[in-house]
Amino acid sequence: MQTAERQTVYRWGFVWSGALVALVGFVLLGVALSRSHAWAEVASSLGLSIIGWGSLLQTLNALSLTPAELGLKQPLPIGGTQFLVAGVLVWLAGWGLIAAGIRRAPPSTEGPSPAAGAPLYPRLAGYRDFYWSTLAAYGGGILLAEIVLILLQTLLSSGVQVSETGGASGSGLQLAPPWAFAVSLLVACGIAFISGAIGAARARRLSLPEATIGVFYLGLPVPILLTMMERVSSLQLTLGPRLREVTYVAGLLGRPELSYWLVFGLLVLMLVLGINSGFVAAGSGRLDLRAGFELFVSRRHVEVFRPSLLLGTLGVLMLGIVPPLLIYGIVRSVEAAVERTRIRALGLADPLAAAEALHRLKLREQSPTMMMTALSVGGVGVGVMALIVVLSVMSGFEIDLQQKILGTHAHAVVSKYAGDLPEYPKLMEQIGKVPGVIGQSPFITNQVMIVSEGNVDGVVIKGVDPDSVGSVTDLPGYMLPGGSLEYLRKPELILPERAPRGAGQPMLDDKPAGSEGKPEEEEEEIDPIIGRTTKPAQEKVLPGIILGRELAAALRVVVGDKVNIVSPLGTELGPQGPMPKSRVFRVAGVFYSGMYEYDAKFVYIYLDEAAKFFEVKGANGIDLKVADIDDARHVASEVVRKLGGYPYRARDWSETNRNLFSALRLEKLVMGIILSIIIIVAAGLIVATVIMLVLEKRKEISVLKALGVPDGGIVKIFLAEGLQIGVAGGLLGLMSGLAWCFFIEKVGIKLDPQVYYIPALPVKIEPVQTLLAVVIAVLVTYLASIYPALKASSVEPVEGLKAE
Amino acid sequence: MAFLSIRNVFKSYFLHGKRIDVLRGVSLEISRGELVSLVGPSGAGKSTFLHVLGTLDAPAAGEVFFEERSVFAMSDAEIAEFRNRTIGFVFQSHYLLPEFTALENVAMPALVQRLDRTTTYTKARELLERVGLGARVDHKPGELSGGEAQRVALARALVLQPAILLADEPTGNLDPATGEGIHQLLRDVNRDLGITAVVVTHNETLARSMPRRLRLAGGQVTDA
Repeated sequence: MQTAERQTVYRWGFVWSGALVALVGFVLLGVALSRSHAWAEVASSLGLSIIGWGSLLQTLNALSLTPAELGLKQPLPIGGTQFLVAGVLVWLAGWGLIAAGIRRAPPSTEGPSPAAGAPLYPRLAGYRDFYWSTLAAYGGGILLAEIVLILLQTLLSSGVQVSETGGASGSGLQLAPPWAFAVSLLVACGIAFISGAIGAARARRLSLPEATIGVFYLGLPVPILLTMMERVSSLQLTLGPRLREVTYVAGLLGRPELSYWLVFGLLVLMLVLGINSGFVAAGSGRLDLRAGFELFVSRRHVEVFRPSLLLGTLGVLMLGIVPPLLIYGIVRSVEAAVERTRIRALGLADPLAAAEALHRLKLREQSPTMMMTALSVGGVGVGVMALIVVLSVMSGFEIDLQQKILGTHAHAVVSKYAGDLPEYPKLMEQIGKVPGVIGQSPFITNQVMIVSEGNVDGVVIKGVDPDSVGSVTDLPGYMLPGGSLEYLRKPELILPERAPRGAGQPMLDDKPAGSEGKPEEEEEEIDPIIGRTTKPAQEKVLPGIILGRELAAALRVVVGDKVNIVSPLGTELGPQGPMPKSRVFRVAGVFYSGMYEYDAKFVYIYLDEAAKFFEVKGANGIDLKVADIDDARHVASEVVRKLGGYPYRARDWSETNRNLFSALRLEKLVMGIILSIIIIVAAGLIVATVIMLVLEKRKEISVLKALGVPDGGIVKIFLAEGLQIGVAGGLLGLMSGLAWCFFIEKVGIKLDPQVYYIPALPVKIEPVQTLLAVVIAVLVTYLASIYPALKASSVEPVEGLKAE
Repeated sequence: MAFLSIRNVFKSYFLHGKRIDVLRGVSLEISRGELVSLVGPSGAGKSTFLHVLGTLDAPAAGEVFFEERSVFAMSDAEIAEFRNRTIGFVFQSHYLLPEFTALENVAMPALVQRLDRTTTYTKARELLERVGLGARVDHKPGELSGGEAQRVALARALVLQPAILLADEPTGNLDPATGEGIHQLLRDVNRDLGITAVVVTHNETLARSMPRRLRLAGGQVTDA
């Protein structure tokens, strides 16, 4: 009887040429698809077919298309038929070649071994390569996690009002979308983790085949479907409305597809972590979470928490690499010199004692793995520190920008769909009762031209109430010395310009108009030739106007100068239609907000003056300030509801500035991902370090196994070693990152305000972000140690115990 | 009921692509408390046989029974626990863990089982006293001589009072005088604690001093 193994023989020439031919066939098929413009329709089925759902899809398609097919009068035009046929034939030919290249070898001529017929070693006899229950646990787990995420997100946030009229779009709870997402994501991650752990614990092996098939077959369809939903219109119509909460949250980053795949990646990661933890905890046959012994051993292997290593790495992180290395080099060489001198002196008296001392000196030298451990800790530390510092600075910029925008713009604006708000005092009374509103101010806004001595500019003009405008924006705080919001209400207080224009004569005897506190109404005398009043500028009382600093500089005006406001929306009719109307104003103040756009394009006048000028009754709208910026949308819709709905409407600041902030958020995310590359490189270093530790300690692993440590215990030992490196690096990175942030905040890094519009580098330490950086570092370290730890556990006892 | 029995065990190892059949259908029974020596030509596979006996290596076919329980039918974790509790090893090299002191090394099998540390260390100290190393308790293996390290290894093998002691040329690296000390210890332990011991050795004096002698040759084990 033939019992020797029959191997498979590959004729690689056939296999490779067959693969190339099949590839050509695939390309031809692709051309055929492009010619008939069918990519969009085919892409979703292709995507799902590649991961194995092909047959099910085709059946569903057939069932749903048959009625449509029956109604079709003419066949659909298929372009590129010759490519289609050629592609199919070439594809089949390629696979035929591949099949021809795989053969079983002829039976070997060796006879049976002496053990032929004896019963198989019991464990191998009962070994199974594939467990359906494990597949169900892994695949079902990730599918369940995805479905739960979508359902929870929809349920938790569908009660939030999305439309301006203030109606709720669904019957669910009213959690703000980002919070709903956080909750749902946490639950989904937990589900993925637990399913992985349960699956691995029951199977007592890692079961990679089941994991791969489960993730591909059951986990990939959901993100593929969601991505296709963005592209294929038929899917958008059927699924889009039901999934709008999910799409909204995904869109916060700018591109929904990015969010879908990031979240999917995160869920797969949690599954992998769960599998690993389940295997380690229960792989010994029963759940064993204790790790006291393993920690004891691993701490001795990898003495990471030594003061010298910790302080040294901290020094490197804080001061850069060169100074500590210099100091270290100097100290070591001095140490070595002193030792050798001492030993030499000893040796002159007693050579053997000197030899022994030299031997002991050699023993104290660090092994290469010690240095690699220190390097790994440093690597993780640098990654975490960079993440913390850069993300905090970006947060600082974001907060600064937000403050600047919200310093000039209100959190929300109440207005009518069409028409003015003559009843604004009554409205303000009602609005004041809505919880969350902490300030309101009426306004009139329009677009006009501003004209000074020789310059023109287009600006946005806003008529404001000087008393309440400060409760909604930071305008009072932005005023530069020399002007004031009060001058808008009391324009007679505006001091005219001190120096004459170009005359160079001191005006010591000029009394500022109104210095006695009495308004002086003077008659205007128009000089017929020049066309301007003959009264010098300093005497006439004009309504006040407040400009931004950039605008003032462009128009070359200071407080007290006159400017002309021209509005094209006049009501008088001239020969060609409505004539523009203009009015002279006196500059009552200059503001500086720090944002170029606002300093150059906004001007403010008194609300009543604006009402007169634009013939508006009351106000255009009411600016609101809310207590919680992130809740602005909610409060705004509450306000509308309180006012009775139509014809009132409310818009919040995030709507108007949505693109800017979601761009900032995307930038921060991308920057975070890029900086994480440092951590990934550090993780690679950790993989190398732990592998070296494993190789160095192969003998010890065998001894430990001989003493009865199970495989799971060995994995725990080396996982603990990797984790210690990660935790040490993470903590050091956290400390140095925070230290650098404090330094930037307190001591500051100066910036040129003309260029950057900000005097020093801004920094804002966000606790969640910072903690996330450390957590990610430790997590990545854990993942990096999994492979070497598993390799360690596969060392056989006899390998290391060979008789020497 | 036999204490330890091996039935129809086959084991080979592979060298340069060639299969070398070391154990061909070995069957054997050992009673409780026996002191057995195993001799045979070099390379015959005595170490391999001892590894299979000690569950360190699985046979290709056949079974090993300990008190009528088939050892290799158990799961990996159960085998590890069995090995920890029931078997003590002494090898030709001491195989002590270099980062731990002698005391910790001796206590290691008990620590693996997560037993209470204080009682374990006390027991370990006693054992070290018994083998004459009470003064070297806190030294690392690198600071001990060969004979001292081997005595620590013997103490380690005994700390959990195993039912079986397996020794693979325990004195191969030692000089005759130190070796004789170890042999005496083995005999004492077998007599006083009733531990069954199987000792692989090239040393004729030692082999002759043991009540039972086995010989491994041509893939078979026979009483000599």
